[in-house]
Amino acid sequence: MHKDGKLEKARQLVKGIHELPTIPEIATKVLDLFDKPDVELEELAETILVDQVMASRVIKIVNSPFFKPLHEIKSLKRALIYLGFRQIRHIALTCSIIDAFEGKNGVFDIKTFWEHSFGVGVVAKIIAQRIRYPEIEKSYIVGIVHDIGEVFLSYYLKDGFQKVVDEIKGTSGNFVDTELKLLGTTHCEIGFCLARNWNFPAEYCDVIANHHSPSSASHDPALAAIVNLADLFCSVRHLDYGGREWVSFNLAEEPAWEILKSFSPAFADLDVERFCYELDERVPEIEDLVNSLFEGMIKR
Amino acid sequence: MKLSDADFEILRDFIYNTCGMFFTIQKKYFVESRVAKRMEKLSIRQHGEYIRSLRNGVAGSAELKQLLNDLTTNETFFFRNPPQLKALENQLLPEVATPKEKIGFRKLRIWSAGSSSGEEVYTLAMVLLERRESLLNRWTFEIVGTDINDEVLAKAREGVFNSYSVRHVPDLYMRKYFRKESSERYVISPEVKKLVNFQHLNLYDDNKMIFMKTFDFIFCANVLIYFDTASKSKVVQHFYNNLQPYGYFFVGQSESLHGVSDKFKTVHFPGGFAYKK
Repeated sequence: MHKDGKLEKARQLVKGIHELPTIPEIATKVLDLFDKPDVELEELAETILVDQVMASRVIKIVNSPFFKPLHEIKSLKRALIYLGFRQIRHIALTCSIIDAFEGKNGVFDIKTFWEHSFGVGVVAKIIAQRIRYPEIEKSYIVGIVHDIGEVFLSYYLKDGFQKVVDEIKGTSGNFVDTELKLLGTTHCEIGFCLARNWNFPAEYCDVIANHHSPSSASHDPALAAIVNLADLFCSVRHLDYGGREWVSFNLAEEPAWEILKSFSPAFADLDVERFCYELDERVPEIEDLVNSLFEGMIKR
Repeated sequence: MKLSDADFEILRDFIYNTCGMFFTIQKKYFVESRVAKRMEKLSIRQHGEYIRSLRNGVAGSAELKQLLNDLTTNETFFFRNPPQLKALENQLLPEVATPKEKIGFRKLRIWSAGSSSGEEVYTLAMVLLERRESLLNRWTFEIVGTDINDEVLAKAREGVFNSYSVRHVPDLYMRKYFRKESSERYVISPEVKKLVNFQHLNLYDDNKMIFMKTFDFIFCANVLIYFDTASKSKVVQHFYNNLQPYGYFFVGQSESLHGVSDKFKTVHFPGGFAYKK
């Protein structure tokens, strides 16, 4: 199907949902703060304190096993200092998105979704560091949010999405092709519409739309390629949604690999094997991180 | 004595750069215990001193070999690398066999280089036999195991294994392809045995290596780690030439060919990767 057709279909589907999930203002603010490198800790603390639920979650998360402070941290400001400015932004953003979809039953396990999302975020960040991509932080965040279209499908188009999941189960089929076949659009276009709706910056929307076709990205194909490759590396580390019988890829045949080699010629000499073993090392850490987030999310 | 994270990293980088085997941080305690055993033997008390001794010329290389033996536990057992077998069954066998089936060339040749007492060779034979009802109906198989050590070759040809070797054999395979004579004696079935043959081969022997032709798959686990880079490159070049144009080469868990050959392409699958010609 033509690209515009897929997008139009996604627009209709998203438009057809009367109560679209809303993302707290804080998440949009957190994203906005990216372009302000001189933002102060005070400013961030004030932003978060406006949202009491968020503030208590941050404190709970900082005291979780993943971050393991020596003594219990009781104040938001100390939590912010301990976690660091960057970490707190990721937590705030993630909590907002988890919140946006809370209280509904989705087709797939939301925790698996976040393991995949954080997995892609972490690996995207590692790749960005390797190729000296100037905005490492951005790679991490866009890695985390790249699949929001899947969450939307899982929660709001349950029947259709259940069919997609059933069709893939036990085969080596992938989500993009199956969604296109059964729904007439994919999680990429859906995610794009949702991200636009939430006023995400344009370059984020572009990556969300093109993370399976990095060459088509109009803003920054390198960023889309980083996320695409991170997605592939996660898919063979059980950091995916499961269900598929088999998944594999030949690095030399991936357009993202070519894009990144032309972005950074030294990347062609990457020790792929060592890179893979080092990624294997990080998997438990990603699982711990997601567990911590979920522990912090449980309502008292 | 506890191996510090810093010493662990120095040691694992040294092992990776010299041998091409990578130990993840999750294996730190395992490495620590094996190193402790070696240090006790040599009466060395500091990790720093032990690491220095590994870098010490001929004596260092000999010690590194000992350490590698301990780290790879110098043992082989059936179904040792499940992700690799799964990749073979799910993707690579169908990928290689389907075009062959179309032209009616129903034959697969597999080589296990450094086959030791034969567990990998027999595992592969059983996996292929299990496919004879479906994908590999009316196919013939030839699985060659080679080793430099005549003692292990004799053991491989005998085809009798202890309970430790067979501990990961799935029940189905156990029932079909083994005869249990006692709790420590598992005999491989004649049906499996007739698919395999074991030969003496020195991987350094160029004259013989050039005759190991037309394999669909080559496996070589925990062997190249003992070779220096130049020898590794030479041997791997032979493997490359010995493969069919669509063939695959596999190394052991944690091993790497980086810097040894840039001809192969890496194909990634859950739990590992293979090298495609």
